[in-house]
Amino acid sequence: MSSNDPLVIAGREFGSRLLTGTGKYDTFETMRDALTASGSEIVTVAVRRIDLDARDDDITTFLPENVLLLPNTSGCETADEAVQTARLARAGGLPDWVKLEVIPDPRYLLPDPVETLRAAATLVEDGFTVLPYVLPDPVLQKKLEEVGCATVMPLAAPIGSGRGLKLRDTIRIMVEQAEVPLVVDAGLGAPSHASEAMELGADAVLVNTAIARAGDPVAMARAFRLAVEAGRTAFHAGVMEEGVQAAASSPLTGAVHES
Amino acid sequence: MRPSVSLNGREQAVEDGETVAGLLERLGLGARYALVERNGEPVERASYPEVRLEDGDRLVVARPVAGG
Repeated sequence: MSSNDPLVIAGREFGSRLLTGTGKYDTFETMRDALTASGSEIVTVAVRRIDLDARDDDITTFLPENVLLLPNTSGCETADEAVQTARLARAGGLPDWVKLEVIPDPRYLLPDPVETLRAAATLVEDGFTVLPYVLPDPVLQKKLEEVGCATVMPLAAPIGSGRGLKLRDTIRIMVEQAEVPLVVDAGLGAPSHASEAMELGADAVLVNTAIARAGDPVAMARAFRLAVEAGRTAFHAGVMEEGVQAAASSPLTGAVHES
Repeated sequence: MRPSVSLNGREQAVEDGETVAGLLERLGLGARYALVERNGEPVERASYPEVRLEDGDRLVVARPVAGG
């Protein structure tokens, strides 16, 4: 199977397994160029009140063509707030896909599993395609699948921390039992982290800060694109088992100056 | 007295019979990707030109912004 096997979410095919966020770029122009270089086909945005005293640019005019805009519910601390935000976005013309985030904790930005599950059930019932952001938790994953979520998106490490796959073994369990695409979201700091998640069998990754805050975001976007493709190719190729002892790669007999 | 609404928490005078679309246009928000909630309920984009504002309405106007 090629590295380019499509990612299928809720019956819709995507050529790229790298989802990207639009936050933290210095300018919208840099963001647009980085998103293009990433090859990403799913791009997240937040929803906020318009500041009536400031006339900032409309971010949607800076997004590459043909990407799926994925509104998130960041800023929501309860299920009810998240449901309300998703409904507002859909009514106003954004897609009926939602990256569901319910985060009451401002320090570590860890999602609330109980409220997330509650909001997910309501939104699926209401016709949304729901992509919930969660702590790595195989039990919660099953419950989210049961209520009809389109993906499950466990964090690698806290948002913006760049620490990589901190709960690798738990995410491995989630990969093994996943019935909908597993997207590793948040905490990936380097392309090698993204590769590691893909080698493990994650279906996709979502990256924002690591690209937006890089010295050269456009080059870093390309690096993540390549890393995701490399990781996916390696997953299909079959990563070797780890061993404790050495296993020689060269013959152990017939050395030229054998004693 | 001219009717007024609460717009993102601020008092905003509106014209008699003014629609959501009309108000957005007047505030220079017409071309923007404005998302509108009226009295706690989301307003469908297609009905912005039809929904007439009433004195005391509570409006929230939001838009997509950069985020992860």
